[in-house]
Amino acid sequence: MSVSATTSETEVMTEPVRKSSNKSVWLITPGVIWMLLFLVAPMLMMVYVSFWTQTTFKITPDLTTKSWVTFFTSETYLNSLWTTIRIWLIVLAATLIVGYPAALFVGLFVKNKTLQTALLVLCVIPFWTSFLIRVLAWRPMLGKEGAINLILMKLHIIQQPIEVLLFSELSVVIGMTQIYCVFMVGPIAFMMGRVDQSIIEAAQDLGAGFWRIFRTINLPLTMPGVVVGAIFVSVMVLGEFATAAALSGRKVNLLGNIIVTQVGSLKWAFAAVVGVVLTVLMGIVVAGLLRVVDLKKEL
Amino acid sequence: MQAGGIKLTLGVYIALFLTFLYAPLMVLAILSFQIGPEGGPQFPIIEWSTYWYQHLFGLTPPSRIAPLPIKEALFRSLALAIMTMIVSTVLGVSAAQAFRKRFRGQNFVFYLIVLGMMVPGVLVGLGMALVSNELGVARHWWGTAFVLHVVYTFPFAFLVMLAIFNRFDQSVEEAAWSLGVSPARTFRKVTFPLIFPGVLSAMLFAFTLSYDEFSRTLFASGRDLTLPLAIYGTFSVEVHPNVFAFGVLTTLFSFALLSVYAILMMLSMRRAKRIAIQEEA
Amino acid sequence: MSTVLSLAGVRKTYGDLNALDGIDLSLPDDSYVSLLGPSGSGKTTLLRVIAGFETPEAGTVSFKGERVETVPPHLRDIGFVFQNFALFPHLSVEKNIAFGLENRVENPITDASVVKTKVRDIIGLVGLAGLEDRAVTQISGGQKQRVALARTLVTEPSLVLLDEPLGALDANLRTRMLTELRRIRQRCGVTFLHVTGSETEALAMGDTVLVLDQGRIAQAADADTIYNEPKSVAVARFLNCYNLFSGAPSDGRFAGPDGQFPLGAEKRFSSAVPGYAIRYDRVGIRPLDAPVAADEVSLPATFVADEYSGPAVNSFFQLENGRVVEVETHLSVAPAPRCKPHARYALVWKQNDALVYA
Repeated sequence: MSVSATTSETEVMTEPVRKSSNKSVWLITPGVIWMLLFLVAPMLMMVYVSFWTQTTFKITPDLTTKSWVTFFTSETYLNSLWTTIRIWLIVLAATLIVGYPAALFVGLFVKNKTLQTALLVLCVIPFWTSFLIRVLAWRPMLGKEGAINLILMKLHIIQQPIEVLLFSELSVVIGMTQIYCVFMVGPIAFMMGRVDQSIIEAAQDLGAGFWRIFRTINLPLTMPGVVVGAIFVSVMVLGEFATAAALSGRKVNLLGNIIVTQVGSLKWAFAAVVGVVLTVLMGIVVAGLLRVVDLKKEL
Repeated sequence: MQAGGIKLTLGVYIALFLTFLYAPLMVLAILSFQIGPEGGPQFPIIEWSTYWYQHLFGLTPPSRIAPLPIKEALFRSLALAIMTMIVSTVLGVSAAQAFRKRFRGQNFVFYLIVLGMMVPGVLVGLGMALVSNELGVARHWWGTAFVLHVVYTFPFAFLVMLAIFNRFDQSVEEAAWSLGVSPARTFRKVTFPLIFPGVLSAMLFAFTLSYDEFSRTLFASGRDLTLPLAIYGTFSVEVHPNVFAFGVLTTLFSFALLSVYAILMMLSMRRAKRIAIQEEA
Repeated sequence: MSTVLSLAGVRKTYGDLNALDGIDLSLPDDSYVSLLGPSGSGKTTLLRVIAGFETPEAGTVSFKGERVETVPPHLRDIGFVFQNFALFPHLSVEKNIAFGLENRVENPITDASVVKTKVRDIIGLVGLAGLEDRAVTQISGGQKQRVALARTLVTEPSLVLLDEPLGALDANLRTRMLTELRRIRQRCGVTFLHVTGSETEALAMGDTVLVLDQGRIAQAADADTIYNEPKSVAVARFLNCYNLFSGAPSDGRFAGPDGQFPLGAEKRFSSAVPGYAIRYDRVGIRPLDAPVAADEVSLPATFVADEYSGPAVNSFFQLENGRVVEVETHLSVAPAPRCKPHARYALVWKQNDALVYA
């Protein structure tokens, strides 16, 4: 317990500092190593393999840009890149359009905290069903003999079942919108709840109407929520393949689907190229969204 | 008033919105009670029955519809989820504990960890498959898939614990030290009991995310299927109501899990209160 | 009396801020020491360095004759009572108090009956009997304070640090706890280092009073000396009972923007910051034309307002340049001055009551 008085000053002073940071290092190291080995290394490997030579059923580590050339000259791949971007933009817009009014209602008009929480919980409960089951659940809804067609025919709104509902791009968009809109509702409702009620009351006293208040106060203040929601939705939609696989009847091929089929036929190098393209696309999207709103400043 | 009309409109809207969220699941639940094996996954319901539930458990006479391979898959998924839950909670708690002190490279480490929940499963899955091919390591659900599950759930556990530690009053730990109690024992006797509700939430997050995860598992698990992979396998073939019945059962299982969590949470919060109530009585 | 704790040249910086800028102090065994400092003077940092929660960048901390800068807090045998009490919210009153005994590294007590006896004794000492099984979230502020104290005292540390221990209590309770703290300390025979921002608390509690100013010990003395002879302008300012005038002595007078005071029999202190101090209760109020003795100083001022505090009246006067001077009249010594608002008076004090820093 005692420290000899002859110990030099600097030694005495630096030791405890080193000791305390040592403890932090030990606590953080396992996690960092885990992420480097099992996240960063695989991603780097993917970039590396994208330059390997692909033969029919195997790959060899002879560096070439052939897979890249194939990707950018093949109509199939470029189409799927375009499809991915299109579906992403449509789903992003759809989740925003569907989600924003819901968030507006929950965050702005429901004053009762319990009811507010209850409504948000109601939005989250579907998540407790398996993701794949939720996707699959759209099949009996949208099919030719599905619930929607059945109801519309019963109501005599349509005479013939709408066939385009299932196994089309539309069904993929509907499915994704339902599954991901909650990630939009959450952040927006959160930001909406933080809008100071007294500002709105002051604006009302000054004679501002609802739309004017909404446009000048609520909308700008909920922008960070929109951006956070958009990041969530974008990251998930861009990496999607299951919804398209279940609901498009192979008509919609996202980059994710291409990867799955390429891996299925052991075209690893092609799959890696698509993976890198997808990573870059995602990086651009997230960076772009973060540029729209400075999150650190807003939150 | 103008706002009143808007409020009404939005109120109707939220009802429609909730219908949009719930209708597919309702339809799915209804169709799971279709008669089997001849009844298909569509309306009308020919006759109400629990045939497809019996089919799931192999209680029906053999028919042309193959039973879902759920028995082993369920075991694997549960084991995988429990392993993932334990490891990512331990990693998450210790990483968050380290973040209570400032250290060099803290920002980098933060983004490195959060990256794990951002990168799509199909990409890490592909990368992991490539790495294991290159190293000649066989892919298994308990090996390559497991480490990817942790990559995915560890960030969630970390963020939950970070939020918990943000609100944690450090002086209770210092108080314990000043009483002569070692930091390790202080963590066990004071810190851990106080952050336990947070740990429970981190565990719940990790468990459910892992249990439902399939895009990482798809490339990294080899030939043994986990539960989500078994369902994914039905995507390419004709769907029968047995999948719907299975969906209903997994949902019920999730709710059971959620209830256990809620009960544990309530118990840990009530412990302090109970003492007080006894005292007042 | 021997020394239990001594610090020499202790420094600690936070960024650009010198929280502790060369602290030298020593605390005697078995005594009540109070540490007075305004907020931001580094008093909490000093306590945390002594307790071992922070490591000093330079200097030595010796406790019971041994260097302890690198000793972790749990091996120091120094108790700490937190301003916010920092009770273990998941444990009952009894378990809180028993926690240190049962869990400490050195000499933990495993015999439940011994723990029970010790806890019962200390509960009796601090007056918590009957609350043993209560949750600490369900007791009052004063009771929490006692639990915090009992929890520390039961482990029998050689030194107890109290960080503004009464800060979270209401005024009534504070006065009661002051007496309690003194009594409990005497019974236990340990040294208390009581940190406070309140000058009355510091003077009332301490056998020795330390005054902390900008990361240094400005003065260390008994309460009487501190009160009557603050060593510097800063100390006098913290005591909150001195009129302080800036300026410098020259040609037998102290000259500054507020006036010229003839010098003679005043007490002199050498100090880097020059100043002239006269205690509120040493100033008399006279009509403007009343005679002034040779050993007296007179300062004309306009009456503004006064304030009754029960045993005394504090009157406020304004000088020509707007500066406010305070006069305290103890009603046991003199009748309440009944000054007319806006009227001018002469403020008079004896030269030998003044303190001059130069």
